[in-house]
Amino acid sequence: MSGPGFENLKALIVEDNAHMRSLLRALLNSLGVKDIAEAGNGQIAIELLRERKSDLVLTDLAMKPMDGLEFTRYVRNNDHSPNPFVPIIMISGHTEKYRVEAARDAGVTEFLAKPITAHNLFARIAEIVERPRAFVRCDGYFGPDRRRHQNDDYTGPWRRKDDFQTTEAR
Amino acid sequence: MTKNSKPKVQLIPPGAYPQMLSKPRAARALRTLQAPETAAKAQVAMEAAMPAMRAAILQYVEEMERSADDMTRLFEAAHEIRGFAETAGMITTGRIAEVLCRYMDDITRFGRPMDTTIVALHVSAIARAARAEDDNVRTGQAVAAELAALVAKRLAEQS
Repeated sequence: MSGPGFENLKALIVEDNAHMRSLLRALLNSLGVKDIAEAGNGQIAIELLRERKSDLVLTDLAMKPMDGLEFTRYVRNNDHSPNPFVPIIMISGHTEKYRVEAARDAGVTEFLAKPITAHNLFARIAEIVERPRAFVRCDGYFGPDRRRHQNDDYTGPWRRKDDFQTTEAR
Repeated sequence: MTKNSKPKVQLIPPGAYPQMLSKPRAARALRTLQAPETAAKAQVAMEAAMPAMRAAILQYVEEMERSADDMTRLFEAAHEIRGFAETAGMITTGRIAEVLCRYMDDITRFGRPMDTTIVALHVSAIARAARAEDDNVRTGQAVAAELAALVAKRLAEQS
């Protein structure tokens, strides 16, 4: 029986295409997620986030008047954001490298390229559940750690331009 | 740059901020995500959504055909088609729309003039594929491949 584990999850779908919203809702339903809110763009989504707790956000990239990037930046950085740590999966047909990098730099947790399959969506959700990522706060960025493959046993020299000292949150 | 002058970063480990699911729920959720029954339910949901999605794609095709003089609207319609044609099982339609979007996106970024013949060829091919009973026929795939080659060549010339 599907459902156990997700029955209390509150999800938010931010997508301007009603058919895609309906499909995403149906896929979340198949996991047992029942409490799902929908918004047609980032601006409406922000209002919904203030009114109602959300544990998971699925957002499109291209929307008007507020797109998924601006929405993500708001959630991560705005002082009035109700939950800057909420997992955000960006779902988009815009799969050009520069757009994916823009999504990463805005602070999305996962990026899912359209066309959507249940398998791919569930894999992204599993990634969030199984391997939650550390968050990073530094000049110009707040969001999930953008380095996916960190080797804790690395003993070689630091060569990246942006290698820096880290401190743990208190 | 000295070690001390490097910018500091605050690393917040997963245990220090609220998680999407509590640990006991997360373990159950993972089992749900991997369960064959979940995949079967999702498949049923996908199939139920397909007729409406196919109808919507045909509307976007009409929108695209009406927008020959408005490249912004044409791109938006092509983008929607690219977004869910393949999810609706219209593989060739989705692939040609993908090539058209890539062409329009790149040519705009390069600041070059749009070749309206290339756009019209794609619009026509997308419309034919979307209206074909079985859009994934070999002819359609061949057309998609030829158009992709044409766009790659033209973009290489322009970049």
